[in-house]
Amino acid sequence: MSYFIQVVVDGLSNGAIYAAIALAIVLVYRATGLINFAQGGMAVTATFVAYALTRVGVPVLLALVVAVVFGFLLGALLERGVMRHFEGGDPDTAVVATIALLVVLSGLSAYFFGYEPHPFPSLFPNRTIEVLGVFVSLRSIGTITVLLVVMIALQLLFRSTKLGLAMRAVADNPRSSALSGLPVSRLLMIGWGLAAALGAIAGVLVAPQLFISPGMLDFVLVYALASAILGGLDSPIGAVVAAAFIGVVENLAGAYLDFIGDDLKIAVPFIAVIVILVVRPQGLFGRKVTVRV
Amino acid sequence: MTKTRNAARASGVVATVSIAALLVAGCTRDSSAGGPGADDSASPGITDDSISIGISSPLSGATAGPGSCTIAGLDSYIEAKNAAGGFEFGDGKTRQVDFTYLDDVYDPAKAVSNFRQLLNDNMFAYVGALGTPTNAAVMPIAEEEEVPQVLLTTGARTFSSDQDAHPWTTGFVPTYATEGRAFGELLANANQPLTVATLAQNDDFGQSYLDGLNEAIEGSQVKIVASATYEPTDTTLDAQVTELAASKADVLMSAVSVTPLQVGVLTKAQSLGWLPRIFLPSNTSTPGTILQPGGAAAYPAVYTPSFSKNPNSPAFANDEDVKAYNDAFQKYGSKIATTYTPHCAWSYAEGAVLDQAFQGMKEPTREAFMTSLKSISGFQAPLLLDGITVDTTTKDDAAISTVQLVQYDGQAAFKPVSAY
Repeated sequence: MSYFIQVVVDGLSNGAIYAAIALAIVLVYRATGLINFAQGGMAVTATFVAYALTRVGVPVLLALVVAVVFGFLLGALLERGVMRHFEGGDPDTAVVATIALLVVLSGLSAYFFGYEPHPFPSLFPNRTIEVLGVFVSLRSIGTITVLLVVMIALQLLFRSTKLGLAMRAVADNPRSSALSGLPVSRLLMIGWGLAAALGAIAGVLVAPQLFISPGMLDFVLVYALASAILGGLDSPIGAVVAAAFIGVVENLAGAYLDFIGDDLKIAVPFIAVIVILVVRPQGLFGRKVTVRV
Repeated sequence: MTKTRNAARASGVVATVSIAALLVAGCTRDSSAGGPGADDSASPGITDDSISIGISSPLSGATAGPGSCTIAGLDSYIEAKNAAGGFEFGDGKTRQVDFTYLDDVYDPAKAVSNFRQLLNDNMFAYVGALGTPTNAAVMPIAEEEEVPQVLLTTGARTFSSDQDAHPWTTGFVPTYATEGRAFGELLANANQPLTVATLAQNDDFGQSYLDGLNEAIEGSQVKIVASATYEPTDTTLDAQVTELAASKADVLMSAVSVTPLQVGVLTKAQSLGWLPRIFLPSNTSTPGTILQPGGAAAYPAVYTPSFSKNPNSPAFANDEDVKAYNDAFQKYGSKIATTYTPHCAWSYAEGAVLDQAFQGMKEPTREAFMTSLKSISGFQAPLLLDGITVDTTTKDDAAISTVQLVQYDGQAAFKPVSAY
């Protein structure tokens, strides 16, 4: 029994890594209506800023704060300098532009820090506690706690604040929003800034486990996108639940289905994702889009 | 004499040139290009006073560290020797070596186009390239063109295990199977019942370690009680370690090639209260990047194979070969590789093996080069640990086919292993 719980707990801590990035994807989608492939690149770049600071002796928490501010400015700058030229055009073009940004940002990080993975200090003590024969690392508990706080904050932002409402309106229909007097460009800029700032938090949370390198989030991004889409793409809660689902199902399949084992376990949650999306195209927590004629 | 093209900075140019070279090579290749049957005339790339050697290794990307070292050590040996007058050949002539290196970013397609470009620039032999997938992509072309693709820096058996089938290709460093076997022998010789858990990368890399281990423990009291595999793209290996820890095995062989994942294995196992003796592959056992971050000092013993001297270690500070290496590296190699990985020492030793092959080469042809290269035995190349020698005469193993196990001393270095 404790083995079963251990497998689930391990799955949850993997899921926390996917959820961290998935939340940022959801945020930028809610704020701009785009799936942003540059999310991983912005997160890594901001995390490298934190890394550089910790290298010269700055405490991790302070480095995180600086990285968040840097992330916000970076995101805002990229929106202002690059993405604005694609706004109002074909959304597909904008998505391709975000892929280009991802490549450029990775290249920049590599230029300054190289490709070798470096250890990154953890915000939380690197210890494990034992509860009823199950071992849980304090790092995982800390990561999950921060994620839940961020998730609730995002939910509140979009549900209960004027800024969130305005951002949703802009993402939904920029032209009407502009006609209603909303500062569309500025709101998009804030959306990108917030997404990159959240990316910085996510990056600092997962870097101790993954080691920081320009490619740190390349594979995580795949899981994160799957989580975000399964969760409904516009729902922070959905993204977190879906990420936990993927992490746990993957581990359970690897541990208990002998014919699947470690080689095929990754396929299991993704097949589940396909099945769920066929039955429920809007995702677990997504809003159904209806068009009235 | 070194022609350098730093593709990390000018990759666009190189890519364009490569494509052009590819087209040219495809259009203008004539039957004499490979030089088979041209018995008395010289092969391409060799004159009375020069010979051109090429390599393609990763100089940028995730494998840039080891990749640049496979070039830097070799370059140090070659340039130091060039500066001292040149290489003496078996045909009585002395030649300077033109050494050209290109960046393939660990990308097989790029490695192939680099290889073709080097051929087009009259390369005599392709020496020391790093990487299993990249060299595997080059091998059929080298074979077709009958160009030596030798002393490769990869532990995959493909390049050494059947030299009759692949007469133009040889590996240099010990194969992963050799490493696994060395560990298995240590366990088998302990003469007591031992349980082993294995964690292996789900490809030829991991399988080679398992094969080596299995060969060595066959018929002994050592039993494998749990096995798990992983993909290099996995984010963590916590699930695998949890599964293996449930076996409570005495020993863990962790054939993991990815730095953060190997650190994760070391931290996870001890966090579960499982403290086996651990075996790590030679390429993921660096104290600074793996053992210290992973808290490896907590385990009763951490073993890893070794076959070269670390030129930075105070233990070898008075070693003549180490001094020569350090001088040459500072003068030449340090421009190519900024941080040390063991590959720097390996490729320097490889330069000495190349030198041996030149000395035994009676005619200026690729055939004569291969014959000479494959008849070196008992050669104590510089920087190899005492007792480890180069033997290229076997038809089914790499040039170096023995390793010594060393044991982590709990801090920043290794000490010899006495017994299990």
